Amino acid sequence: MLEQDKIKNVNFRNYIVYIALIVIFLVFSVALFNKGFITQNNIMNIFRQTAMISVMSVGMTIVLCAGEIDLSIGSIVALSAVLTAYALRYFNIWIAILTGLLTGIIIGFINGLLVSKIRIPSFLVTLGMMSILSGVARWATNLVAIPVTNRVYNFIFGSGNIRTISVLFIWTIIFVAIGQILLKKTSYGRYILATGGNEVAAKFSGINTKNIKMSVLIISGITAAFAGMLYAGRLHGARYDLGEADLLTVIAAVIIGGTSLSGGKGTVIGALAGSLIMGMVNNGLILMGLDNAQQMIFRGIIIIGAVSFGIEREKY
Amino acid sequence: MHDDKKSLGTEDMSNLKVLEMENIYKSFNNNYVLENINFSLNKGEVCGIVGQNGAGKSTLMKILTGVYQKDKGNIKIDGKIVEIHNSITAREYGISMIFQEFSLIHSLKVYQNVFLTKEPKINNLFINDNECIERTKKILNSLGVTEKIDPKEYVKNISVGSMQIVEIAKALASNSRILIMDEPTASLSKYDIGLLFKVIKKLRNEGISIIYISHYLKDVLSICNRITVLRDGRIIFTKEKNNLNIDNIVKAMVGEAYRKSVPRKGKYIDKSKKPLLEVKNLSDGKVIKNVNIKVWKGEVVGIVGLLGSGRSEIINTIFGLRKKISGSIYINGKEIIINSPKNAINAGIMLIPEDRRTEGLIINYSVKENIVLSIWDRLKNLFIVNENKAKKITEYYIKKINIKTKGFREPVRYLSGGNQQKVVISKSLSTKSKILLLDDPTFGIDIESKQEIVKIICDYADAGNGVIFISSELDEIASFCDRVLILKSSKVTKEILKNQAEFSEEYLLKIIQ
Repeated sequence: MLEQDKIKNVNFRNYIVYIALIVIFLVFSVALFNKGFITQNNIMNIFRQTAMISVMSVGMTIVLCAGEIDLSIGSIVALSAVLTAYALRYFNIWIAILTGLLTGIIIGFINGLLVSKIRIPSFLVTLGMMSILSGVARWATNLVAIPVTNRVYNFIFGSGNIRTISVLFIWTIIFVAIGQILLKKTSYGRYILATGGNEVAAKFSGINTKNIKMSVLIISGITAAFAGMLYAGRLHGARYDLGEADLLTVIAAVIIGGTSLSGGKGTVIGALAGSLIMGMVNNGLILMGLDNAQQMIFRGIIIIGAVSFGIEREKY
Repeated sequence: MHDDKKSLGTEDMSNLKVLEMENIYKSFNNNYVLENINFSLNKGEVCGIVGQNGAGKSTLMKILTGVYQKDKGNIKIDGKIVEIHNSITAREYGISMIFQEFSLIHSLKVYQNVFLTKEPKINNLFINDNECIERTKKILNSLGVTEKIDPKEYVKNISVGSMQIVEIAKALASNSRILIMDEPTASLSKYDIGLLFKVIKKLRNEGISIIYISHYLKDVLSICNRITVLRDGRIIFTKEKNNLNIDNIVKAMVGEAYRKSVPRKGKYIDKSKKPLLEVKNLSDGKVIKNVNIKVWKGEVVGIVGLLGSGRSEIINTIFGLRKKISGSIYINGKEIIINSPKNAINAGIMLIPEDRRTEGLIINYSVKENIVLSIWDRLKNLFIVNENKAKKITEYYIKKINIKTKGFREPVRYLSGGNQQKVVISKSLSTKSKILLLDDPTFGIDIESKQEIVKIICDYADAGNGVIFISSELDEIASFCDRVLILKSSKVTKEILKNQAEFSEEYLLKIIQ
């Protein structure tokens, strides 16, 4: 049947990101065998480099599933890193962690309030928020980096290894697992997907879509703030421009992972795969000895290529 | 017929035939969806095609407009065999589809839409707006609607009926001689339907031929010269309209399975008891003024009124979708506060919305995801949802109310309209609500599903629940409701009981005007 073909086709597309991940991995393994691509050290390195992107992708996946978008995540990263670093300087580690998380919660809450109550599209709200927060981060730091010297903090949030496993890898797994369960196994996750799939029908079905929109923006605020905390721990310091370049990488990772830009469909594990593809390509291109300009060009080509296979096209 | 051309339109006058389809076959995966179709269309004729959903009407039209390719058979335009490879060749042969869901661009003006992609140019470079406007005026004039539609108005500001006429103007601007109209009256008001029929008659006199597809048999009978009935991919008959009435068309459409629906018996309701649902003095400050409704256990209460009488607004307000400024709602005598659909569902009220595709369903989601959408909260152990329970509930309803689907994983967009509506109903039943508010639940679906759905609703009421039923089909109201409320300019003006003499379709039709 014609219709059955369509169903199969969709299923195939759902797995394309994992196939792409494996194919790219195999290609690099062969091509860069002599340059140490598949050493344990390098693989763990890829996880380290992608951890922040992966954590943010979890939040972004959830926001996109609800049919919204959060463009402010890059500047939430910077602000939470900066504020956490200040809190570490003047207070203790507990207050620092709380500061970082609260940064994300409060900004997410403001975003959510503007989107759900005043009904401004999230694209515009978070676009404005992005600029405001970047400004605040610059103003708060006076464009100076703030060092983080708390060893315990640095160990837990970035630099530490448990045997050979980076804590960043562990944080990635924790966030992906929570995100996946939240989205796929809880009624809350179903309501997120339903809101993104058809907001009107969701409302008619008794779902409080305003609360859903509010909460997904808070979640993405938290994941972005946490990514900022990880940056501070990994780099032993915070700067006003941390995470500024991450927004597009995160969106690319999430879309490559099979999440629909128009809402209603998405997977957190797919986003992790997308994020790993981005990280692997980065790593591979560096090992190939390409310079920065060449890397950017290649990365763009790979994003378009991966998305063109994975994305579901509307047929008329 | 008083029409001269009509009486000449017999087999030997083939020069008058603008379109002939001979022995058309079409199959998908070795299943014939069209078998040996012979269909012809005369110059200046309106030919109706009717049939249940899945009878092959759309497939036949898609072959004619080049979306599908036929397996066998000939298509002749003006007596010459042609091959229609795609929609562009179809348009070159003068065949235009007037879409059910209008294909106009709302942010452009009427004349810009009419001449979209074929704008007259100055020096082959700049669009000649004045000429577009003049020619649009001329076309609208030939349709007799010059005063009704301003070529310079934005399409988003004109009525749905006018949009349809702009669609027709658009087809005429590209010199179409065969128009295909698919369910053209479905979303039109009575006034707009009158306007459309006037235009169709004009077109007919100008020698334009029209294929008219619709479920509204009364419309088909009133506007078409001939009517073709399709069933299971075959033509049952093509007859002059004078030899037909609704009864024999329906018989041909349904085949052996046809049975006249048995009207529901009126119920004796003990009104000394507390009503299941009582709505007191409901107002929203805009459309609804002091509406009072009582529904007793086991009752199906119909609300009858023209589009725009506030009938949908009333039940949407009861359901908590619209804000009310006054009024209270009681269930079994106990007042309940409803500020959102969630409150309503928790109190045992469920709504089946007017537009199943945009309000009732998430069209890309599976049958299962849609059916359990309102009850995920009740399906969890701790905080993880129980997929197995969801599956069982879905399978129970698929079986119980006979949803035709390949399985609970199938996205609902692949189901027919009737089966989609059954999914919406299952979603409502799964909440175990005691009161169902139905907003035109049988709109635009095939006869068999219609009867099944009405039966589900009656069974639901007979099990001791209450139903408020809105329908634009008055025969449905007349045969299935125990009591009917007449709604005029947002007020309940009259109440009629089933056993009263005036409880008939004709009376209802008269009184709501």
